[in-house]
Amino acid sequence: MARYIVRRLLTMLLTMILVSMLVFAIVEIAPGNVARNILGAYATPEQEASMSRQLGLTRPVSIRYISWLFGSDWQAKGEIGLPMAQIISEQGLVKNAREWWAVAPNGEHLQWTVEEGKLYKLVLLADGNTEKILDESSWKAGEDGDEYFWGVDTANRAAKWVKGSKDIEYRLDYSGWVESTGAPVEYIPLSKGLIRGDAGVSLRYQAPVSEVIGRRILNSFILAALAIVVSIPTAVILGLIAGLNEGKLIDRIISIGGLITAGSPDFATGILLIMVFAIWLKVLPGAAVFTSADALWKNPNLLVLPVLTASLVEIGYVLRITRSSVVEVMNSPYVRTAILKGLTYRQVVTRHVLRNAMMAPITVIMLHVNWFIGGLVVVESVFGYPGLGSFILNAALFKDVYSIEAGAMVLILLAVGTQLIADLIYSLVNPRIRYS
Amino acid sequence: MATENISMTKSTSRFVLTLRGIWKGLQELAELIFASPTAVIGLVVVLAWVFVAIFAPLITTYSPLEQDYKNINQKPTAAHVLGTDNLGRDVWTRVAYGARTILSLGPISVFVAFLIGLALGLPAGYYQGWVDELIMRILDALMAFPTILLYMIIISAVGASPFNVVIAIAIGGAPGIARLVRALTMDIRTREYVAAAKLRGDSDIMIMLREILPNSRGPLIVDFLLRIGYAAFYIGTLGFLGLGLPPPTPDWGGMVQEGHGRMSANIWPVLSATMAIVTLVIGLNMFADGLREESMRYQ
Repeated sequence: MARYIVRRLLTMLLTMILVSMLVFAIVEIAPGNVARNILGAYATPEQEASMSRQLGLTRPVSIRYISWLFGSDWQAKGEIGLPMAQIISEQGLVKNAREWWAVAPNGEHLQWTVEEGKLYKLVLLADGNTEKILDESSWKAGEDGDEYFWGVDTANRAAKWVKGSKDIEYRLDYSGWVESTGAPVEYIPLSKGLIRGDAGVSLRYQAPVSEVIGRRILNSFILAALAIVVSIPTAVILGLIAGLNEGKLIDRIISIGGLITAGSPDFATGILLIMVFAIWLKVLPGAAVFTSADALWKNPNLLVLPVLTASLVEIGYVLRITRSSVVEVMNSPYVRTAILKGLTYRQVVTRHVLRNAMMAPITVIMLHVNWFIGGLVVVESVFGYPGLGSFILNAALFKDVYSIEAGAMVLILLAVGTQLIADLIYSLVNPRIRYS
Repeated sequence: MATENISMTKSTSRFVLTLRGIWKGLQELAELIFASPTAVIGLVVVLAWVFVAIFAPLITTYSPLEQDYKNINQKPTAAHVLGTDNLGRDVWTRVAYGARTILSLGPISVFVAFLIGLALGLPAGYYQGWVDELIMRILDALMAFPTILLYMIIISAVGASPFNVVIAIAIGGAPGIARLVRALTMDIRTREYVAAAKLRGDSDIMIMLREILPNSRGPLIVDFLLRIGYAAFYIGTLGFLGLGLPPPTPDWGGMVQEGHGRMSANIWPVLSATMAIVTLVIGLNMFADGLREESMRYQ
C-alpha cells in the first residue's frame, strides 16, 4: 500500500510537470503573443518590440519556462552578484505591490536607473523613500570595449545597461506611453516563480495573482463541498428507489429525470433554474455577485441556485449508475439465495444489495472528478459566482496570461490531487482491490 | 490447413473497406438501433434537428441576421413564432440556423479528434514499448485537464472562430479516443490474421489500417456517436462562455450568452436556445447510450 501511494505520487508529479509544459506552451507560444495582448492592437512595432524585451519574451523558451516555474531572482543574482530581496511596499498606486531590490553587503537595498546616459543608484531609506546617488564608477568593462552594468531597475527587473546606449524604452504607464532613452539591452523580469508562490501580477487586477486567487479558491471549495453534500446522498437514495422498483412508474419517472438532468449542459440547467426561481417565482437571486467579502454569510440565498445547478447534473449521473448497479445486484444469484433462505426484504436490501451496489457509484464518482470540476467552472460563470472557475474564464476572456497560467495550474493540481485521494479512499473501501 | 486460413483471412480482410463492407456495417448498425427504444427516441429527436438544419431556409421566413428595429423583444406572434430578440431578429430563424452551426461543427470536430486519436492510439498499441510509454504520458497529462479548462485556455490563446473551436474540441477529445484505440489495437494485434499479414510481408502501416482498424470499427462507431453528443454539449457551453463562435453567427450557446442578462425583459431567445441545446444533447446521448447498451449486450 505504501509503495502504491509513493508510485502514485511520483506519477502525479510527472503528470504535473507535463501539464505545466502544456499550459505554458498553449498560453505563451500560441500565436498572438503576450506583448500584443497587453498592448492591444494599436501599438507600433517599436513599442511592441520594447515591451517584448521588457517582459523577457525575447529570452529562450526553456529559460522562460524555468523562470515561470522556479523564479528568476537566482538568475539575476548570478548576473548582478548581489542577493535579491522582494519587499512589500505600502507606497505607490498598487496596493501591497511587491518590489525587488538588490541587497548590498552592508544591508542597503539598491535599485539603479540610467538618466541622460548617467548611472544612478537608488538607496531605500527607512521611511520608504529613496535617495538618488550618482554611481558612474560602477560601469564594468565589457569584452568588446563597451561599458555595461547589471542591476535592478525600478520596475522589478534585472537589467543590463550599456553606457552611451541610445535605445528607447517604451513603457505603458497609468497616464499612457512613457519613453525614456538609454534603455537596457537585456531584461530579466524578476519573480519567485509559481512553485514558490509568486505567479506574477495580474494584468486585469493589477495585483499579485496569488493574492487574488486565494479567496477564489475558498469560494469554489464552499460551492463544491455543498454541491457534493447535496447531490451524492440524494442521487444514491433516488437510484436505490428506482433500482428496487425496476420497471414501475416511480422508476420510469426517476430514470427519465436522471437522463434529462445528467444530459443537459450545466449552463442550460442553470439558466432554466434562474428562469423559474428568479424571474418567474422571484424567490431567489439569479446571480451570485458578492458585494462584500462576507456576502456569503450575510445572504446564504446567493448560494442556493449555484449549488442546485451543480448538484442536478451530478445527481442525474450518479443516480443512473446507482440504479443500474442496484438492478444488476437484485438479479444476481446471491440475492435470490438470500430471498429463498427466508431473509426479509429489508434484510436483503441492507445486507446484500446496498453494499454490493455501492461499488459502482463510488467508482464512477471517482472517475468523474474532472468532469465535476469542469461543471463548477461553468456554474460559476452562469451565476457570476466569484470562484476559481469564473476567475479563469475572465482571465481567458481578458487574455490575462499570468492569471490563466496560475489558475489553470491550481485547478489541475486540485483535480489531480482529489483524484489521488479518491483513489486511496476507494482502495480502503473496496477490499477486492489488490495493489502489486 | 494453416495456408488455407491465411488465404481466407486475406481475401476477407482485403474487402472490409469496400461498399459491401460498409453496407453490412450499416445493416448491423440499424439492427442495433431498432433493438433499443431509447436509441430510437434519441434518433428521432436528432433527425428532427437534422431536418431543421438542412431545410432551415425553407422553414423560416427571415434571415438569421436580419434586424428589425421596429419589432424588438417581441413575444411569440403569428409573424414571429418564437418572438424576436433585442435587435429584432427572428428567434425561430436563429434557432434553425443555429442547428446548422452545431450539427456541422460537432461531427467535424469529432472526426478531427478521431484522426488525431487514431494517429496516436494505433502506433501506441501496435509498437508498445517506449513509443507507447511516451504517447500515453502525454495523453495522461492532457487528460488531467478538466475538459472545459483545456478549451478555455486554447481558445483564449488562439481566439474564437469556428476553426479554432473545432481544433480545441478535437484536442480535448483525442486522448480518450487514443486510449480506446490503443486498447483495441493491443487486443487485435495478437490475432491470427495480423500474424498472417505480417507473414506475407505487409508493412506496419498497412497492418494498422487494413487489419486492425476495420476490425475495431464496432466500438469505435459507438464511441464516435457518443462523442458527437459531448461535442454538441461543449460547443454550446463554449458559446455560452463567450468563447464560441463570434457574433452575429447564429449559435445556440451564443444566443443564451447574449440574452441571459436581459431575461426579465425578454425570455424568448434564451428559452428557445436553451431548450434547443437541451433537446439536441439529450437526443444524441439517448441515441448513443441506447446503442452502446445494445452493442454491449451483443458482445
